[in-house]
Amino acid sequence: MELWVLFGTFVVLLLIGTPVAFCLGVSSFATIVYLGLPPVVVFQRLNSGVSVFALMAIPFFIFAGDLMVRGDIARRLVALAGAMVGHLRGGLGQVNVLASVMFGGVSGSAAADASAVGGLMVPQMKERGYGVDYAVNLTVVGSIIALLIPPSHNMIIYSISAGGKISIADLFTAGIIPGAILALSLMTAAYFVARKRGYPTEPFPGLRALGHIFLSAVPGLILVAIIFGGVRSGIFTASESSNIAVVYALLVTLLVYRTLSWHDFIEATFAAVRTTAMVLMVIGCAAAFGWLLAYTRVPAAMVSALQGVSDNPIVILLLMNVMLLILGTFMDMSPLIVITTPIFLPVAVAFGIDPVHFGVILILNLGIGLCTPPVGAVLFVGCAVGRIPISEAMKSIWPFYGAAFATLMAVTYIPALSLWLPALFH
Amino acid sequence: MKNVALATGLLARLALWIAGIGLVLMTVIIAAQVVFRYLLNSSLIWSEPASVMIMGWFIFLGAAVGIREGYHLSFDILLYVLPEKAKLFLHTVSDLVVAGFGAGMVWFGWELAEKTSGNMVPSLGISGAFDFIPIVGGGVLVVLFSIERVARRAAGLPTARFGDDADIEA
Amino acid sequence: ECEITLKSSDTHPDGYPTVEAVKAMGEALKTSSDGRICIEIFASAQLGEEKDTIEQTQFGVIDLNRVSLGPFNNIVPETQVPSLPYIFRSVDHMHTVMDGPVGDEILAAFAGADLVGLTFYDGGSRSFYNSEKPITSMADMAGMKFRVMQSDMFVDMVSALGANATPMPYGEVYSSIQTGVIDGAENNWPSYDTSGHFEVAKYYTLDQHLIVPEVLVMSKISWDKLSPEDQALVKQAAKDSTPVMRDLWQAQEKASEDKIRAAGVEIVTDIDKTPFIEAMVPVYEKYVTDDKLKSMVERIQATE
Ligand code: NA
Ligand code: NA
Repeated sequence: MELWVLFGTFVVLLLIGTPVAFCLGVSSFATIVYLGLPPVVVFQRLNSGVSVFALMAIPFFIFAGDLMVRGDIARRLVALAGAMVGHLRGGLGQVNVLASVMFGGVSGSAAADASAVGGLMVPQMKERGYGVDYAVNLTVVGSIIALLIPPSHNMIIYSISAGGKISIADLFTAGIIPGAILALSLMTAAYFVARKRGYPTEPFPGLRALGHIFLSAVPGLILVAIIFGGVRSGIFTASESSNIAVVYALLVTLLVYRTLSWHDFIEATFAAVRTTAMVLMVIGCAAAFGWLLAYTRVPAAMVSALQGVSDNPIVILLLMNVMLLILGTFMDMSPLIVITTPIFLPVAVAFGIDPVHFGVILILNLGIGLCTPPVGAVLFVGCAVGRIPISEAMKSIWPFYGAAFATLMAVTYIPALSLWLPALFH
Repeated sequence: MKNVALATGLLARLALWIAGIGLVLMTVIIAAQVVFRYLLNSSLIWSEPASVMIMGWFIFLGAAVGIREGYHLSFDILLYVLPEKAKLFLHTVSDLVVAGFGAGMVWFGWELAEKTSGNMVPSLGISGAFDFIPIVGGGVLVVLFSIERVARRAAGLPTARFGDDADIEA
Repeated sequence: ECEITLKSSDTHPDGYPTVEAVKAMGEALKTSSDGRICIEIFASAQLGEEKDTIEQTQFGVIDLNRVSLGPFNNIVPETQVPSLPYIFRSVDHMHTVMDGPVGDEILAAFAGADLVGLTFYDGGSRSFYNSEKPITSMADMAGMKFRVMQSDMFVDMVSALGANATPMPYGEVYSSIQTGVIDGAENNWPSYDTSGHFEVAKYYTLDQHLIVPEVLVMSKISWDKLSPEDQALVKQAAKDSTPVMRDLWQAQEKASEDKIRAAGVEIVTDIDKTPFIEAMVPVYEKYVTDDKLKSMVERIQATE
């Protein structure tokens, strides 16, 4: 019965438009009261849930991403991508995907990526005669790459939701190959759609120009190296690396590029505060929700329920993927990570699935959810940037959904894609 | 109502500035930790607990401002299909529920602060109550801004709707 | 069916000696109460970290809780005494003290925090390990960087020994030793083993600076709901679980020690601890302030 109170209150509030954080908090409150326990526990969990040092990487990565957009680092990375792959079939479409790889590697956020890459690419593509739907769809699905290629604050949320015992360095490393595969599948899809629609290619600018563009993008690329190298080598914690990313982005934009104004700096700070407060409030309230799930032994019940369905890990993984995809269609990523990790991870572990591998599956799966209606932050951002209705994007997005789904299946059933690279570092 | 809205607007701006300064302060403290640990070969004992406490401030203040500015994550698919009147009614119900939770943040946050006021926070040497002051402060603003939304709606003024802002972070 | 189910929290995982001891306690209690009282365990910090679960126990949400003494130092001052560096000469000395009147006095002191102290478990003895050199005297400690928990007393202890204390999360210690950000850390045999730190810090000096027991507490609210007869049953089952825990702990310690020795770690056993103990005078002066704690320290030192 207490689970009806917990999930019932949650769903009702969600449907009447209450912010997700408060849906989680209030349904936890209602359940605690129903159980006759002191409600103060809810607020203790909320406070402890956000008082975690490792969470600090999230505001810092978001802050750094914002500074890079405002301070011109992002534009130079996109220019580099253009010089590298613009001459391939699908031209600017290929550039769009590669730009997501490069910028997503630093910003760590799919929505930041969609707004940065989309803001730069969509107008260019429109001007060169590409369909806006094509440009938007590539931007939207391409930004899932940002979730997989380090850094990814969602990987940090996953590690914390799993009790902080999964190495963030391993998660970061594990995402690289799946991110690359997703990029390749999207570039392939972009190729076929471009051929069918007869889209142009860009001229190759020549090695000399490529060299110049590369040099101007080097500070941005160094940032990727610092973040990944710092976390992977263990010299810096994720929080320290993300902090260095902020300081470095400030130094580059203030001293090297001289592109950041005082006003830009204040706006970037406020933007980071808004985004972070929103994400972390969800995490804090989900800590209360998660406490109730543990207290009422939901994860254990879930494990035995799924064990009753099948004892085949392949079937179980498929079931979990389907459930996550459905949930991801309706909800956003960070709340889903914090809500589903305590429930699904024990199931995965009981079936012998490595927690790092499961993390990559979870992130990719929920990343697809960011691009699907009715609730898909990245889809909204992409359509807003391209100024097209969601329905128009949906008409032609299927080849790209297909590429993402094929990648999800490959990543789900070939553990080595996620686990081979981290194992090399051990 | 206009004057009240002006006052709460200023309050939200102030909270946003405090939160922004908190983020910059956190950046400086952790940067100092990195410099001390790796370059100066010594450690700042207080950097972690201090920055975690600042993070609490900026999260709860930022979350409260989010209510006024309407930038929280939400799910409003049902609301699309409802008539305008029902929609406004449900928004008001939702705002009152959020106000209630804010009141809980104040009431129970205070209870926690009182209970732990005799303890010391390790390495900072301040009362354990400081751990819970941010949740109380944020709760006060959550209550204020939620009630403001209800009042604005009643007075026919526009309110920012959750999910309006396209610039949502993943 | 159990009439009363006591919810018990532990941050250690299933299979860890403290968790197994509480399981054994649950079985004993079920037998002694004719099946009326059961224990349900939430292991692996499912309900939160120790600081949080202590509060939840005070609220009566959790009935039983296995916790380290560290988080209690600010709440129950008496717990600071067994947490002092070099207060116990050996594990046997610690057992004698905690099983005796001083231990009972500390258990009784939990009443001031809305808790009932039931029994003590072993937390192992902590010693220094590092990646640089075998430490055989205090002079060897000079200027070395050791990771400690975020605790004032740990920082003061390491500073008093002439080394640099670096508070850092446990999960980052391995790579920090590997990359030279710190020279070493300090812990007991099983943690030195399971963390893999022995792979990167190959010198272990058994100075046993801390031999701190852990404690099983019960919520005062839950306790008061029990009849005096049931209270006695719970108390007895808890007391009886301590030898179970100690046996399991010793077996685990032995297994870790064997593994670490086989891995070729250089272990320094025969050091003169006198200068280390003398260096603790300012630490004792800072933390042992009132007469009650002072007398407790004296009685522990006088215990054979
Ligand atoms: Na990324
Ligand atoms: Na979605």
